[in-house]
Amino acid sequence: MKWTNRGDESAELDALFRAYRDALPDPDASANFMPELWRRIEERQRSVFFMGRWARALVTAAAVLSLGMAAYLYIPHGRSSVFSMESYVEALAAGHAQDTPDLPDSAGDEL
Amino acid sequence: MLVDFEIIKRAQAGDAPAFNEIVLAYRKRTLGTIARLISRPEDVEDVGQEVFLRLYFSLDQLRTAEVFEPWLYRLTVNAAYDYLRKHRRRMESRMSDLSEQQVMLADAVAGGRVDHDLRRRRQISEAVDAMLSAVSEADRILLTLKEVEGLSLKELEKIYRVKENALKVRLFRARQRVLKAFGEAGHEPSAKGAAKAEI
Repeated sequence: MKWTNRGDESAELDALFRAYRDALPDPDASANFMPELWRRIEERQRSVFFMGRWARALVTAAAVLSLGMAAYLYIPHGRSSVFSMESYVEALAAGHAQDTPDLPDSAGDEL
Repeated sequence: MLVDFEIIKRAQAGDAPAFNEIVLAYRKRTLGTIARLISRPEDVEDVGQEVFLRLYFSLDQLRTAEVFEPWLYRLTVNAAYDYLRKHRRRMESRMSDLSEQQVMLADAVAGGRVDHDLRRRRQISEAVDAMLSAVSEADRILLTLKEVEGLSLKELEKIYRVKENALKVRLFRARQRVLKAFGEAGHEPSAKGAAKAEI
Protein backbone atom coordinates (compact mmCIF):
# COMPACT_ATOMS: atom_id res chain seq x y z
CA MET A 1 0.00 0.00 0.00
CA LYS A 2 1.88 2.99 -1.30
CA TRP A 3 -0.28 5.62 0.43
CA THR A 4 0.02 3.91 3.76
CA ASN A 5 3.77 3.77 3.33
CA ARG A 6 3.88 7.46 2.50
CA GLY A 7 1.70 8.22 5.53
CA ASP A 8 3.97 6.12 7.72
CA GLU A 9 6.99 7.88 6.35
CA SER A 10 5.40 11.24 6.97
CA ALA A 11 4.69 10.30 10.60
CA GLU A 12 8.24 8.99 10.97
CA LEU A 13 9.61 12.20 9.52
CA ASP A 14 7.56 14.25 12.01
CA ALA A 15 8.90 12.09 14.83
CA LEU A 16 12.44 12.60 13.56
CA PHE A 17 11.95 16.37 13.47
CA ARG A 18 10.65 16.29 17.06
CA ALA A 19 13.62 14.18 18.09
CA TYR A 20 15.94 16.62 16.36
CA ARG A 21 14.36 19.46 18.35
CA ASP A 22 14.96 17.54 21.58
CA ALA A 23 18.46 16.46 20.57
CA LEU A 24 19.53 20.07 20.04
CA PRO A 25 18.16 22.07 22.99
CA ASP A 26 18.84 25.81 23.29
CA PRO A 27 22.54 25.98 24.21
CA ASP A 28 24.02 28.23 26.88
CA ALA A 29 26.37 30.88 25.57
CA SER A 30 30.00 30.83 26.63
CA ALA A 31 31.37 33.44 29.04
CA ASN A 32 33.15 35.03 26.10
CA PHE A 33 29.95 35.71 24.17
CA MET A 34 29.26 39.29 25.31
CA PRO A 35 32.89 40.57 25.30
CA GLU A 36 33.39 39.11 21.82
CA LEU A 37 30.11 40.65 20.62
CA TRP A 38 31.14 44.11 21.86
CA ARG A 39 34.59 43.70 20.33
CA ARG A 40 32.94 43.00 16.96
CA ILE A 41 30.55 45.94 17.40
CA GLU A 42 33.43 48.32 18.16
CA GLU A 43 35.47 46.95 15.27
CA ARG A 44 32.54 47.52 12.89
CA GLN A 45 31.97 51.00 14.32
CA ARG A 46 35.64 51.87 13.70
CA SER A 47 35.52 50.65 10.12
CA VAL A 48 32.24 52.54 9.53
CA PHE A 49 33.81 55.66 11.04
CA PHE A 50 36.90 55.43 8.81
CA MET A 51 34.81 54.70 5.75
CA GLY A 52 32.69 57.74 6.59
CA ARG A 53 35.79 59.90 6.90
CA TRP A 54 37.11 58.61 3.58
CA ALA A 55 33.76 59.24 1.92
CA ARG A 56 33.64 62.81 3.30
CA ALA A 57 37.22 63.48 2.17
CA LEU A 58 36.37 62.14 -1.27
CA VAL A 59 33.26 64.33 -1.56
CA THR A 60 35.24 67.40 -0.46
CA ALA A 61 37.99 66.68 -3.00
CA ALA A 62 35.39 66.20 -5.77
CA ALA A 63 33.69 69.50 -4.85
CA VAL A 64 37.01 71.40 -4.85
CA LEU A 65 37.94 69.88 -8.21
CA SER A 66 34.57 70.82 -9.68
CA LEU A 67 34.89 74.40 -8.46
CA GLY A 68 38.43 74.60 -9.87
CA MET A 69 37.30 73.35 -13.26
CA ALA A 70 34.35 75.75 -13.30
CA ALA A 71 36.66 78.66 -12.47
CA TYR A 72 39.13 77.60 -15.15
CA LEU A 73 36.39 77.52 -17.78
CA TYR A 74 34.89 80.81 -16.66
CA ILE A 75 38.11 82.89 -16.68
CA PRO A 76 38.98 84.10 -20.26
CA HIS A 77 42.17 82.74 -21.79
CA GLY A 78 43.22 85.04 -24.72
CA ARG A 79 41.26 85.50 -27.99
CA SER A 80 40.68 81.88 -28.59
CA SER A 81 38.54 81.65 -25.53
CA VAL A 82 34.88 81.07 -26.05
CA PHE A 83 34.34 83.81 -23.51
CA SER A 84 36.24 86.37 -25.62
CA MET A 85 34.86 89.89 -25.20
CA GLU A 86 34.72 90.73 -28.92
CA SER A 87 31.31 91.03 -30.45
CA TYR A 88 29.76 88.39 -32.64
CA VAL A 89 30.04 90.59 -35.75
CA GLU A 90 33.73 91.28 -35.10
CA ALA A 91 34.40 87.60 -34.64
CA LEU A 92 32.50 86.80 -37.86
CA ALA A 93 34.40 89.45 -39.79
CA ALA A 94 37.72 88.16 -38.48
CA GLY A 95 36.79 84.65 -39.40
CA HIS A 96 35.73 85.50 -42.97
CA ALA A 97 38.32 88.11 -43.93
CA GLN A 98 39.19 86.18 -47.11
CA ASP A 99 35.53 86.20 -48.26
CA THR A 100 35.46 90.01 -48.67
CA PRO A 101 35.50 90.75 -52.43
CA ASP A 102 38.35 92.96 -53.78
CA LEU A 103 36.49 95.93 -55.21
CA PRO A 104 38.10 97.46 -58.30
CA ASP A 105 39.37 100.98 -57.91
CA SER A 106 36.96 102.23 -60.55
CA ALA A 107 34.75 104.42 -58.39
CA GLY A 108 37.06 107.39 -58.72
CA ASP A 109 37.32 107.04 -62.49
CA GLU A 110 33.62 107.63 -62.98
CA LEU A 111 33.70 110.92 -61.21
CA MET B 1 8.13 40.01 24.04
CA LEU B 2 10.90 39.08 26.44
CA VAL B 3 11.81 42.75 27.00
CA ASP B 4 9.80 45.96 27.29
CA PHE B 5 9.71 48.25 24.31
CA GLU B 6 11.13 50.95 26.61
CA ILE B 7 14.38 48.99 26.79
CA ILE B 8 14.48 48.73 23.01
CA LYS B 9 13.93 52.49 22.78
CA ARG B 10 16.81 53.07 25.20
CA ALA B 11 19.02 50.77 23.14
CA GLN B 12 18.01 52.69 20.01
CA ALA B 13 19.25 55.83 21.73
CA GLY B 14 22.67 54.17 22.18
CA ASP B 15 22.28 52.87 25.74
CA ALA B 16 24.75 49.93 25.92
CA PRO B 17 23.29 48.33 29.11
CA ALA B 18 19.83 48.33 27.47
CA PHE B 19 21.27 46.58 24.41
CA ASN B 20 22.98 44.06 26.72
CA GLU B 21 19.61 43.40 28.34
CA ILE B 22 18.03 42.64 24.94
CA VAL B 23 20.89 40.28 24.03
CA LEU B 24 20.67 38.47 27.36
CA ALA B 25 16.90 38.07 27.00
CA TYR B 26 16.99 36.64 23.47
CA ARG B 27 20.42 35.00 23.37
CA LYS B 28 19.51 31.48 24.47
CA ARG B 29 16.51 31.21 22.18
CA THR B 30 18.38 32.67 19.22
CA LEU B 31 21.36 30.36 19.71
CA GLY B 32 18.98 27.39 19.90
CA THR B 33 17.32 28.34 16.63
CA ILE B 34 20.71 28.80 14.97
CA ALA B 35 21.95 25.44 16.31
CA ARG B 36 19.01 23.68 14.69
CA LEU B 37 19.25 25.69 11.47
CA ILE B 38 22.94 25.09 10.80
CA SER B 39 23.59 21.78 12.65
CA ARG B 40 27.14 22.79 13.50
CA PRO B 41 27.50 23.39 17.25
CA GLU B 42 31.00 24.83 16.98
CA ASP B 43 29.81 27.74 14.81
CA VAL B 44 26.59 28.59 16.65
CA GLU B 45 28.09 31.38 18.79
CA ASP B 46 29.79 32.97 15.81
CA VAL B 47 26.53 33.13 13.85
CA GLY B 48 24.71 34.29 16.99
CA GLN B 49 27.11 37.19 17.41
CA GLU B 50 26.57 38.10 13.77
CA VAL B 51 22.80 38.22 14.43
CA PHE B 52 23.17 40.57 17.39
CA LEU B 53 25.76 42.64 15.53
CA ARG B 54 23.24 43.17 12.72
CA LEU B 55 20.60 43.93 15.33
CA TYR B 56 22.81 46.60 16.91
CA PHE B 57 23.39 48.40 13.62
CA SER B 58 19.81 48.22 12.42
CA LEU B 59 17.98 48.83 15.67
CA ASP B 60 17.28 52.46 14.82
CA GLN B 61 15.05 51.32 11.93
CA LEU B 62 12.61 49.61 14.32
CA ARG B 63 9.40 51.59 14.79
CA THR B 64 6.92 49.37 16.66
CA ALA B 65 7.25 46.77 19.40
CA GLU B 66 5.20 44.05 17.71
CA VAL B 67 7.59 43.70 14.78
CA PHE B 68 10.66 43.22 16.97
CA GLU B 69 10.50 39.44 17.33
CA PRO B 70 9.72 38.63 13.66
CA TRP B 71 12.48 41.05 12.79
CA LEU B 72 14.99 39.29 15.07
CA TYR B 73 13.93 35.99 13.49
CA ARG B 74 14.54 37.51 10.06
CA LEU B 75 18.04 38.57 11.11
CA THR B 76 18.62 35.03 12.43
CA VAL B 77 17.35 33.47 9.22
CA ASN B 78 19.53 35.76 7.09
CA ALA B 79 22.67 35.08 9.14
CA ALA B 80 22.04 31.31 9.07
CA TYR B 81 21.40 31.47 5.32
CA ASP B 82 24.67 33.36 4.74
CA TYR B 83 26.49 30.82 6.87
CA LEU B 84 24.97 27.81 5.07
CA ARG B 85 25.79 29.28 1.68
CA LYS B 86 29.39 29.87 2.73
CA HIS B 87 29.81 26.46 4.27
CA ARG B 88 27.92 24.11 1.99
CA ARG B 89 27.83 20.87 3.87
CA ARG B 90 29.61 17.94 2.34
CA MET B 91 27.84 14.66 2.84
CA GLU B 92 31.02 12.84 3.65
CA SER B 93 32.70 14.42 6.66
CA ARG B 94 36.44 14.16 6.45
CA MET B 95 38.47 14.05 9.62
CA SER B 96 40.49 17.06 8.46
CA ASP B 97 37.27 19.12 8.52
CA LEU B 98 36.25 18.16 12.02
CA SER B 99 36.69 20.48 14.95
CA GLU B 100 38.72 19.41 17.92
CA GLN B 101 35.52 18.74 19.84
CA GLN B 102 34.14 16.54 17.05
CA VAL B 103 37.41 14.61 16.76
CA MET B 104 37.29 13.96 20.51
CA LEU B 105 33.68 12.87 20.19
CA ALA B 106 34.48 10.58 17.26
CA ASP B 107 37.33 9.04 19.24
CA ALA B 108 35.08 8.59 22.23
CA VAL B 109 32.41 6.93 20.09
CA ALA B 110 34.98 4.64 18.57
CA GLY B 111 36.32 3.76 22.00
CA GLY B 112 32.83 3.19 23.38
CA ARG B 113 33.38 5.82 26.06
CA VAL B 114 30.51 8.08 25.08
CA ASP B 115 27.15 7.49 26.68
CA HIS B 116 24.20 6.18 24.76
CA ASP B 117 22.20 9.41 24.90
CA LEU B 118 24.96 11.51 23.33
CA ARG B 119 25.43 8.95 20.58
CA ARG B 120 21.69 8.91 19.86
CA ARG B 121 21.56 12.72 19.66
CA ARG B 122 24.46 12.73 17.30
CA GLN B 123 22.80 10.10 15.14
CA ILE B 124 19.55 12.08 14.95
CA SER B 125 21.35 15.32 14.20
CA GLU B 126 23.36 13.74 11.38
CA ALA B 127 20.29 12.03 9.93
CA VAL B 128 18.24 15.26 9.82
CA ASP B 129 21.22 17.20 8.50
CA ALA B 130 21.71 14.70 5.67
CA MET B 131 18.01 14.76 4.77
CA LEU B 132 17.79 18.53 4.79
CA SER B 133 20.71 18.70 2.40
CA ALA B 134 18.23 17.40 -0.21
CA VAL B 135 16.72 20.89 -0.40
CA SER B 136 18.17 24.36 -0.96
CA GLU B 137 19.52 26.39 1.97
CA ALA B 138 16.48 28.68 1.86
CA ASP B 139 14.02 25.76 1.91
CA ARG B 140 16.03 24.02 4.61
CA ILE B 141 15.64 27.09 6.83
CA LEU B 142 11.94 27.47 6.07
CA LEU B 143 11.26 23.80 6.77
CA THR B 144 13.28 23.87 9.99
CA LEU B 145 11.41 26.94 11.25
CA LYS B 146 8.07 25.25 10.56
CA GLU B 147 8.72 21.63 11.46
CA VAL B 148 11.40 21.87 14.12
CA GLU B 149 10.95 25.31 15.66
CA GLY B 150 7.19 24.92 15.44
CA LEU B 151 6.46 28.38 14.06
CA SER B 152 2.97 28.91 12.66
CA LEU B 153 2.27 30.01 9.09
CA LYS B 154 1.16 33.40 10.45
CA GLU B 155 4.51 33.84 12.20
CA LEU B 156 6.38 32.74 9.08
CA GLU B 157 4.33 35.19 7.04
CA LYS B 158 5.55 38.03 9.28
CA ILE B 159 9.16 36.86 9.13
CA TYR B 160 9.31 36.32 5.38
CA ARG B 161 6.79 39.03 4.39
CA VAL B 162 5.34 36.55 1.94
CA LYS B 163 1.69 35.51 1.53
CA GLU B 164 0.61 32.41 3.45
CA ASN B 165 -0.36 30.51 0.29
CA ALA B 166 3.08 31.01 -1.26
CA LEU B 167 4.65 29.72 1.94
CA LYS B 168 2.35 26.68 1.97
CA VAL B 169 3.33 25.76 -1.59
CA ARG B 170 7.02 26.17 -0.84
CA LEU B 171 6.78 24.19 2.38
CA PHE B 172 4.84 21.41 0.67
CA ARG B 173 7.44 21.06 -2.09
CA ALA B 174 10.34 21.16 0.36
CA ARG B 175 8.69 18.55 2.57
CA GLN B 176 8.06 16.29 -0.42
CA ARG B 177 11.73 16.47 -1.38
CA VAL B 178 12.80 15.72 2.18
CA LEU B 179 10.29 12.85 2.37
CA LYS B 180 11.78 11.42 -0.80
CA ALA B 181 15.26 11.65 0.71
CA PHE B 182 13.87 10.08 3.87
CA GLY B 183 12.39 7.20 1.84
CA GLU B 184 15.69 6.66 0.09
CA ALA B 185 17.45 6.67 3.44
CA GLY B 186 15.30 3.64 4.32
CA HIS B 187 18.22 1.43 3.34
CA GLU B 188 20.50 3.27 5.71
CA PRO B 189 20.07 2.51 9.39
CA SER B 190 20.88 6.04 10.62
CA ALA B 191 17.85 8.10 9.52
CA LYS B 192 15.01 5.63 9.78
CA GLY B 193 16.53 3.91 12.75
CA ALA B 194 16.70 7.21 14.56
CA ALA B 195 13.09 8.01 13.62
CA LYS B 196 11.75 4.58 14.59
CA ALA B 197 13.50 4.77 17.93
CA GLU B 198 11.59 8.00 18.59
CA ILE B 199 8.10 6.72 17.70
